[in-house]
Amino acid sequence: MKLILKIALGIIAAVGGFLDIGDLVFNTQAGALYRYDLLWAVLLGTIGIAVYAEMSGRVAAVNQRPVFDVIRMRLGFGPGLIALIASSLVNVLTVAAELGGLAIVLQLLFDAPFSLFVVLAVIGLVIAVALLPFGGIERLFGYGGLLMLVFVVTAIHQQPDWGAVAHGFVPSLSDSKLYLYFVVGVFAAALMPYEVHFYSSGAVEEGWTKDNLKENRLNAIIGYALGGTLACALVIVSGYLFHPLGVEPNDLGTVALPAQGAFGETGLLLALGGMMFCVGGAAIDASFAAAYNLAQFLGWEWGRYRGPKKAPRFTLSWLVFLFLAMLIVLSGINPVEITEYSVVFAVVALPMTYLPILLIAGDRSFMGEHVNGWFSRLLGWAYFAVIVVLAVAAIPLLLMTNGGGG
Amino acid sequence: MSGGDEIFLAHRLLDEQILDSEGRRCGRVDDIELKGTPPRVTALLVGEGLYPRRLPRRLARLARRLTGPERWGANTLRIPWQEVDRIEAAVHLRGKAEELGLGEGDDPGRWMVRRLPWN
Amino acid sequence: MRRGSTWQRAGAVAAAVALLLLAGGCGDLSRDELSRGVESLSALAAQGELVANGVARDATRSTYARVMSQTLGGEAEHEAEKLADAEPEAAVAPQRHAAVQLAGELSQLFSELQTFPGDEQHGALVERHMEEVKEQADAVVARLTGESP
Repeated sequence: MKLILKIALGIIAAVGGFLDIGDLVFNTQAGALYRYDLLWAVLLGTIGIAVYAEMSGRVAAVNQRPVFDVIRMRLGFGPGLIALIASSLVNVLTVAAELGGLAIVLQLLFDAPFSLFVVLAVIGLVIAVALLPFGGIERLFGYGGLLMLVFVVTAIHQQPDWGAVAHGFVPSLSDSKLYLYFVVGVFAAALMPYEVHFYSSGAVEEGWTKDNLKENRLNAIIGYALGGTLACALVIVSGYLFHPLGVEPNDLGTVALPAQGAFGETGLLLALGGMMFCVGGAAIDASFAAAYNLAQFLGWEWGRYRGPKKAPRFTLSWLVFLFLAMLIVLSGINPVEITEYSVVFAVVALPMTYLPILLIAGDRSFMGEHVNGWFSRLLGWAYFAVIVVLAVAAIPLLLMTNGGGG
Repeated sequence: MSGGDEIFLAHRLLDEQILDSEGRRCGRVDDIELKGTPPRVTALLVGEGLYPRRLPRRLARLARRLTGPERWGANTLRIPWQEVDRIEAAVHLRGKAEELGLGEGDDPGRWMVRRLPWN
Repeated sequence: MRRGSTWQRAGAVAAAVALLLLAGGCGDLSRDELSRGVESLSALAAQGELVANGVARDATRSTYARVMSQTLGGEAEHEAEKLADAEPEAAVAPQRHAAVQLAGELSQLFSELQTFPGDEQHGALVERHMEEVKEQADAVVARLTGESP
């Protein structure tokens, strides 16, 4: 029993906040617009990130190569640089979105000016990273993210038409451009690349070897199963409450309304608390991912365990990314809008960082006996096809639907 | 991967991470020096000055303006092949980074690094 | 000589385009756009009902209710301005008038909620009024879309 608990806690800490602002926004909007019809897209995206993360973790454990090491090695300097620039841009936007979301949640809890919370949030995150041991940070945000379980309880409490919910898991397409935009958005929000970059760098930092491969698999399957469940819960509670009323969730605070409706102030506080930890954890993960990618590509010393003295350029670039993100939020653009751009651009850049990992994970000269088996190969390539299609469709759909405004 | 195994230069040497004898990360193999007939690898080349060569021509002009001239001792370093100990997931060198002039960007002695608030 | 005539031609084209735009009216509010606008008013009213309901049952945090009312109220005002500024097609002018009225009422209701985010009686009152505004907005949308060919 103790071992199971230890593994469970390890998974939770490893997979972090499970959800980030992209999931909160897109899943709630999807539920309000299309009730349960997009649940299949959530499932598809969740399996996708499990596949990507498992492969990256395996490559990292067997070769001590994190994602951007693989990218530089496999794509070379030129194409790799494109991947780096795209990834950095997406990561800065993502950090900005998460920071904005964190400030909004703090505002909903404590009602002070938004800009103040933005600055406080950045200072708070820097202090947390500087003072707390990194394992402590992962556990803090990981367990805090578990507060989001209130949405699962809310969904059960609402007693939706479970038949309709089940039907939502059956893929369906429509020629409505708005529907297709949300298919892309919901999928992309589930498959945010920074999570995997952070995860694979973390694996190298922890000194993972072939002995950790089982752990890697458990993280991918169980960790993201939990994340996917929470994401589905968001769609369900939103679909149940908002869809019949025609509510349009354009603000982050709206996400918490179903929990308030079901469990009053307690539900509201649990929801807001969970959102705070999810988004805060994501801000840390995304900002570190940005620094990891840059340092790994250029060959600098890197690592949160190396510390600022041994890895000064890495540490400095982390701070710069945070600062740039802060400026973007303070510029006054609505964080929900920043979120939409970060998610859409992320899926556009995704093929560039996914393909090298898929190639190396399937290359026996690198992986030895741990190379992709036929199932992983099938799944890996199938997802690559899906990702390419969505990457091509993403920006046109964004423009045609006026940013999901219809 | 060490010893007498054949390796594909572009596949397993170019763009690989370089580690010194203490395991410090100190740059990547940005280019390779080949000399003689038949061509033999005589040195590894490291440095931003080599980036323009790796880019398509138009971008190369812009890159050159940003990273500076490709002069020896300016923005590039030459690591003689004898310094290479073994090649695994990274290129491991026999000596320490400081001795070879590598990884100066992370060197605590450099002026910019000393000015950082935590140093 | 040649250059001059090119510039003259360009100027004439620009003037023609500008005239066309003004005549066509780029600020025109079509039936569809108006309907969309009123739909968002209905959506805001629905959300306002939920927030007010929380206040009425004393089942929410006053900071949350206040900040949400502020945000949603701002959106209602923004919608009001958009609807009021644009020129409606003649056929939908009366619906536009009704929409602007509703948007104004909505704004006011959110203001009240913002000022009394902990008051249960006020909450109940606002909730009832929000429901009325929503019903009226839905009726306007029905009139707009029902009458379309």
